[in-house]
This record gives sequence, C-alpha cells and structure tokens, in this order.
Amino acid sequence: MRSLWNNRTARPYLLLVIMIAVFSALGGDTVLTVATLRSVLQHFATLGPVALGLGLTILARNFDLSVAGVVGLAGCVAVLAGGTYPVVGVLAAVAIGAIFGIVQGTIIVRMNLSSIGVTLGGLLTATGLAYVATGNQEIRLANANIPPIMDDPLIGPMSLRFLVTLAMFAVAAIAVARTRAGRDLLAAGSDPKAALVAGVPVNRVIIIAFMLAGICTALGGALLSFSLAAASPLPLSNTLVPAAAAAIIGGVSLRGGRGNPLGIAGGVLVLSALQSCLTALRVEPFVQDIVTGGVLFLVGIMDGAELRRRLNDVYRRAGRGAFRRGAPSA
Amino acid sequence: MPNAISLSRSSTGTPTQRRFEPTQYARIAIVLALAAFALTTPGFLTEASLRSLLSAMSFVGCVAVGMTFITISGNIMSFSLGASLAASTIVFVATLPLGTWTSFTITLLFGAALNALQGWVIGYLRANPIIVSMAAFSLIIGIMSVITDGNGLYIMGTEAVIFKRNMGPVPGPLIAFLACAVVGQLILSFTNIGRTIMLSGSNPSALLAAGVEPWRSTTWAYSFAGMFTSVAAVLIASRYGSGDLLHGAGFEYSAISAVLVGGTMIQGGHGSVVRTVLGMLIIAILQAILVLRGFSTQYQHLTLGVVVLIVIVLQWKRSR
Repeated sequence: MRSLWNNRTARPYLLLVIMIAVFSALGGDTVLTVATLRSVLQHFATLGPVALGLGLTILARNFDLSVAGVVGLAGCVAVLAGGTYPVVGVLAAVAIGAIFGIVQGTIIVRMNLSSIGVTLGGLLTATGLAYVATGNQEIRLANANIPPIMDDPLIGPMSLRFLVTLAMFAVAAIAVARTRAGRDLLAAGSDPKAALVAGVPVNRVIIIAFMLAGICTALGGALLSFSLAAASPLPLSNTLVPAAAAAIIGGVSLRGGRGNPLGIAGGVLVLSALQSCLTALRVEPFVQDIVTGGVLFLVGIMDGAELRRRLNDVYRRAGRGAFRRGAPSA
Repeated sequence: MPNAISLSRSSTGTPTQRRFEPTQYARIAIVLALAAFALTTPGFLTEASLRSLLSAMSFVGCVAVGMTFITISGNIMSFSLGASLAASTIVFVATLPLGTWTSFTITLLFGAALNALQGWVIGYLRANPIIVSMAAFSLIIGIMSVITDGNGLYIMGTEAVIFKRNMGPVPGPLIAFLACAVVGQLILSFTNIGRTIMLSGSNPSALLAAGVEPWRSTTWAYSFAGMFTSVAAVLIASRYGSGDLLHGAGFEYSAISAVLVGGTMIQGGHGSVVRTVLGMLIIAILQAILVLRGFSTQYQHLTLGVVVLIVIVLQWKRSR
C-alpha cells in the first residue's frame, strides 16, 4: 500500500478507488449507476484536455495560465467557423491554439521571461479575442445535428468526445514514456541546464510543450462548444483551478520533470468522479469547490520546499522542551 | 519611492541614486500622450464620463494596491483576491449592525487574516503561491457559499451611507483609492516591514543573512494585500447595498494588469504603489477612450490583454 502511495502515477487511481468506496458506502445504489459513469466520462472529456495541456507545460517546468482563455476562444472559433463544416471549425480552433502556444513559448524561451507573466498576458488576450470574435454575446451553432454526435454513447457508455480525449491522453502517455521527445521533455523540466549539456534542445522542447498545450486545450474547447451547441466568451472562467488541481493530484510535480499523462488522467478522473458522485447524491455544488480547494491546498503544502525542515523543527522543539533555534540555515 | 528603489538596487550590487531612469521618462511620456489623446476625445471631459471612469477604476485600484505588495514580495500574484473581496463584502454587511466603524475594522481584519494565512503557508513552508492562492479561491468561495447558502446579504440600515458619499465633485471611491495608495506607499517606503517585503522579493537570502526570516515579510505582504482588498469590499458593498459572492469576480486579473502596466517587475523586488496607480490610470484612460470613440466594450478586453502582453515583453530589456 505504501509503495503504491509513493508511486506518483498510481496515487490518483488509489485515491479514486478510495473515493468510490466511500461514495458507494454513502449512497449505494444511487451512486453506482450507468448514468453516473456516463457523467464521469463527460466531465472527463471537458476537463481532461485542459488539464493535459496545463500538465505538459508544468512537466516542462513552466505554467500555462492561458489554457483558461484558449479553451473559451477555441470554443467560439469552432462555432463561428464550423457552421456548415464542423471539421473546419475544429481545425480552425486547433490552429488558433497552436499559434497561441508557439507564440507564447517563443516569447518565454527567446526572451527568458517568466511563463506566468507571459501566459497571463496570453490569457487576457485570448479572452479579449473571444469577446471581439463573438461581439460580446452567446453564439449558437446552426447545425443541430452536431451535439448528439458529440455526446451520444458510441462504444458502451463512451461518447465521441470522451474517446477523442482518451486518445489524446493515450498518445501523450506513450509519447512521454516511450519516445525520445518524451524523455527530452522530462529532462528539460527536471534540470534545464543539465539537459542542455546532455544535448537536449531545451528551448525547442519548451516551445513544443506550449504548442501541444494550446492544441490539446483548443481541441477540448472546440468539442465542448459543439456538445453545448453554443459558445460565449466566459469572463476568465474557472477552468484554471480544476485543471491545475487535476494535474497536481495526478502526480505532476510543480518543480517540473516528474509526472506523466497517465497520472494526469487519474487526477482528472478523481475530480470528475467527485463531481458526478456529489451530483448523484444531490449534494450542493459548493461542496465540490471546498473539496477541490482543500485537496489542492493540501498538495500545495505537501509540495512546500521547506515543509520537511519545518516539521523537523517542530519535532526537535517537542523533543527538547524549550529549545530555542538560532538563525536557520538556508 | 526613492528610498525603496535604492534599497532594492543596492541589494543587487549596483547602487544607483538616480530617481528617474529612461524607462520612467518613457512611462511619463506615455501617460502624457494618453492624456492628450483623451482630452481631444469628444465627451471625455464631461463630468459624467470622468466620474464613472474614476469610480470604476477605484474599486479595482484598491485591490491593485494590495496586489502590488504580493508581486513585490516575489510571489507573482494571488488568484484569491477577488474571492477575498467577495467574502469581505459578506462579512461587512453581516457585521454592519454592530456599527459602521466596528464593522469596517472587522472587515479589514478579516481580509488581512484570510490572506495572512495564505502568506504564512507560502512563506513558512515555501509552498507555491499560484497553487495556494488557487486553492484558497476555491475554498473561500465554497465555504462562504455554504455559510450564506448561496444568497447575498442586503444592507437594511443607513450605517454604510458614509462609504457612498462623494466629496463635492470628487467621487468617494477615488478618495479611498488614493488614500489606500498613499498608505500603501508609505508602508512600503518608510517602514521596516515595507523594506523587508521589498528585499524578500529581490533577494531573500540577503534578508535571511540580515537576520529576518523571509516568511514574516511574506505573511505581512499578504495581510496588507487582504486589508486593501477589504477596503474595496467595503466600498463595493456600500455602493451596491449588498454583500454577494458575485462581487469582485475577475478583479485579481484587472489588479495584476494594473500592477504590471505600472512597471512593477513580475519577479518581485522592484516596483512601487505609485507605479500601480499610474498603471491603473493608463488602463482606465485607455478604456474610456475606446468607449468614447465608439468601440464596443469587447475591445476593452482585447486591449487590456494586448497591453499586458506588451508590457511583460518590454520587461525583458530591463531584467538583464
């Protein structure tokens, strides 16, 4: 059990099993239904792409805030451009996402700027573009046939939207675990200088990570707006917090280089299952905020660079009574 | 301001006593050019447009003053200031029956404590400020929704009237904003706490060597941020007559935009509240011009994003 818990990739799945056990004990038959499973998969398809994109940039020791803006912009672009040919809409959205990623990645790498600052600008710009593109109102998809194609069960309880998301995760997981590019990504994230010395094209890897983040996010946003048959420029919607929470619960280290897409998928599943089970139990939606926030807070604390030292201090003080510590060593 | 700047400079090894660098001249030139452009825009000088511009700016401005402390202390930004504002409006309205100034004080202390807790976690355990503030955002909104059951509170009495009052032609919120800015700048430049906040952003190991634990200044920076955010909460709750979790949504993004446009470095250790006020002015004037020249509101969003992006890219030159 303990070794399973220490495995970063297995941790979210263990959490998932524990959660399902708790919820089935609480709700029994009202929770463990096909409807809940379908709702979990649909939530997975909505949150997954954003979490995957954000997670890839965290793996490369960066942080792409702009995913929250790109997901909305891509949805608007897909609906605007995909009125007659949905494929055109998806392609346009993905192209926009890729351009956003490449431009931001290039600025970050070439000018040696902090990714948070640049992607904050990207987030605001993407949101602004969405407002301008839609004229500040909700736009509806003309073709009413599309939402059922996206959301109707295709294989078992799985919809097309879920299958696409699953494919994205599968490709990303194989690429990170089995290819040179994946190892380069992890190397660039864990120690950029050493990676550079070892011959990894760190700059290119980071730009590509941002491009992939843009593509994943945009694809997810496009499919989401097709499934809703509408898109509107949500003012800096709250996708960012769950996406970050999913990536971090999924075992991605904030210091880069540790974690993988399989773990991120687990993190997304945990949050999706939480949301669906709470809905099935008819618990108020705020509880979800509290649980997500609480878990993220805990993980943030556990990831704290000085947690161990501070805990040691506490033990030492408790051990030696009124032990006074001098200036701490850094 | 000169004091604070020279402190951060000397810590990086290049002591300069110059008050203005070329970039600062450039910034002043931009403000003047914008002002000239604004004055030639028909309708800009009418009292109604000026007043609405200044009032709208003041609410976000108070939050931006708070955000300045967080950015300067080296913690980039807080994602929870909007949520903190929303929670503070509810605390303000709920405690209003205790009396105007009691309630005002409680609200300020509440905001300060709420953010000091985050600052403590971030500073003491060296936790990631982005993750902690995002988590705090979710927690604050979630917990306050449970407490209020998702409903807003409304101001019944007349206790909050004083916060709605205007001083003749000058809007009340503007006075509060400028007061916040003055207090904030005084704290940053002339108190020990302010200087250690500055130093913790530019060189935390120097701070440690000087015998100050960096987590103390981080906690202080966050509690000041919460305090100034709560001032905005009091103003908003009084103006709209309600405490509601919908107040302040997205304010953290506008606030950090003002901080960055003003020229405070995102890496921390370098900047001032005065710059944030300038940044707020630039953004507000720009948006007012856009509206008065007939662009619809969606262009405000786009301009803000592009301006922030440009400003961040321009920081590249100064950071080397």
